[in-house]
Amino acid sequence: MVKKTYSVPDMHCSNCSMRLESIEDDLPGIREINASYHKQQMIVEFDEAKVSEEQILAAVKKKGYQAIPA
Amino acid sequence: MVLAALGILLVAIAILMIVTPSLGQQGVTVAGGSFSMSQIMVAFVTGVTTGGLSCLAVQGGLLASSLAHQIEQDYLQNPPQGKKTKASVQPKRSNSALPILLFLTSKMVMYTLLGALFGWAGSFLTFSPVTRAVLMIAIAIFMLGNGLRMLNVHPIFRYFAIEPPKFITRYIRRTAKNGTELFTPLFLGALTVFIPCGVTQAMLATALGTGSALAGAALLFAFTLGTSPVFFIVAYLTTELGARLEKFFMRFVAAVVLVLGLVTLNGALNLLGSPLSFENLTRGLIPSTGNSSALAESAPSSSTGGITLQVRSDGYFPQMLKAPAGQKVTLSLVTNQTYSCARDFVIPDLDYYQLLPETGTVTVDIPAQPAGTKMFFTCSMGMYTGQIIFE
Repeated sequence: MVKKTYSVPDMHCSNCSMRLESIEDDLPGIREINASYHKQQMIVEFDEAKVSEEQILAAVKKKGYQAIPA
Repeated sequence: MVLAALGILLVAIAILMIVTPSLGQQGVTVAGGSFSMSQIMVAFVTGVTTGGLSCLAVQGGLLASSLAHQIEQDYLQNPPQGKKTKASVQPKRSNSALPILLFLTSKMVMYTLLGALFGWAGSFLTFSPVTRAVLMIAIAIFMLGNGLRMLNVHPIFRYFAIEPPKFITRYIRRTAKNGTELFTPLFLGALTVFIPCGVTQAMLATALGTGSALAGAALLFAFTLGTSPVFFIVAYLTTELGARLEKFFMRFVAAVVLVLGLVTLNGALNLLGSPLSFENLTRGLIPSTGNSSALAESAPSSSTGGITLQVRSDGYFPQMLKAPAGQKVTLSLVTNQTYSCARDFVIPDLDYYQLLPETGTVTVDIPAQPAGTKMFFTCSMGMYTGQIIFE
């Protein structure tokens, strides 16, 4: 299990954090996502054996955002 | 068909409220607080113009989730045949009208109750015009902060956005995924109270400022009703607003919220009797024939030192009164079937606050004032204003 922080500069309202957090239901292997509009970042806790960072970044992109490893 | 008719009914109510100008002149004073129909109209029009799309941007995902089950059911009942996959599912989307209506009805009921709660809570805060002004300033700062946040002026303004606690958003999301039947849209509609959009938050702040449960409920009902047609149409057609359109739309919403913020701030300045409010700064600059003739009519009778102000539903006439300096002046406030917030008469400098009768005359004794004094008066909402010049 690893915990990584990403900066998401194009979040523009509190709902964006809710959208990003919904990825935890979409990708098996993600334990928890904590996104903050105030901080413009998301912290993802995931199992590297089940899901790759690329898959997470792709899921974020699919939601309309860009996650940059902090 | 019945559901389409309901949708049309919502739009019809919307149009009716817009084209009935007489409603704008009416007003209600309830349980210590006051509000006017024009304020309700503003809430409604805000709902129609910005609230609908702004709320959709925030709550659209929830609505889409509540529709997912219905769409799935349609799909199972009418499985696509051959190559016409998309085309055959598309017409069945008409079934999604019921969940949308249930969602919106539930949302409207909940926000009306929330408006009542905020208005009721506000009733404990509105002790005097000054308290009200302070509250209005706080509301204005909140609105301006949110407007600037939406325009992305500085990261600090992000803290004006209220982020619902994680456990609530997570619970809402899970319910949306696992829900069934018609209960889901009803439940999710009710849950939208936990994720109000920026414009809704501004409306809730205004409801707090009314200081009355009834006024707060009416305000939020009008606003949510206003958002409903837009919500219904867009949700029905797309169920989700594209991210690009959403960002573009945010600028428009930001502009409206900024204007609402400035109007609220201006009202607060009026209520404090500040010469810096828009009306008090510009009143002398724009000579109008209506004003000058009204000024002549109300020239003080030197024998009694009395001046008269007509308090009408659409404001105070004349807006500029002249009174003799250096002597006591009796101001007669004349109401004649006056129903708006103009009845809640305030003279900030004298700390005078009085709810006038709908029809009648109330007199105010003004102590002697030095020549050149400008005394401002206003309604308790800071909407209608005027001044007395002592010379």
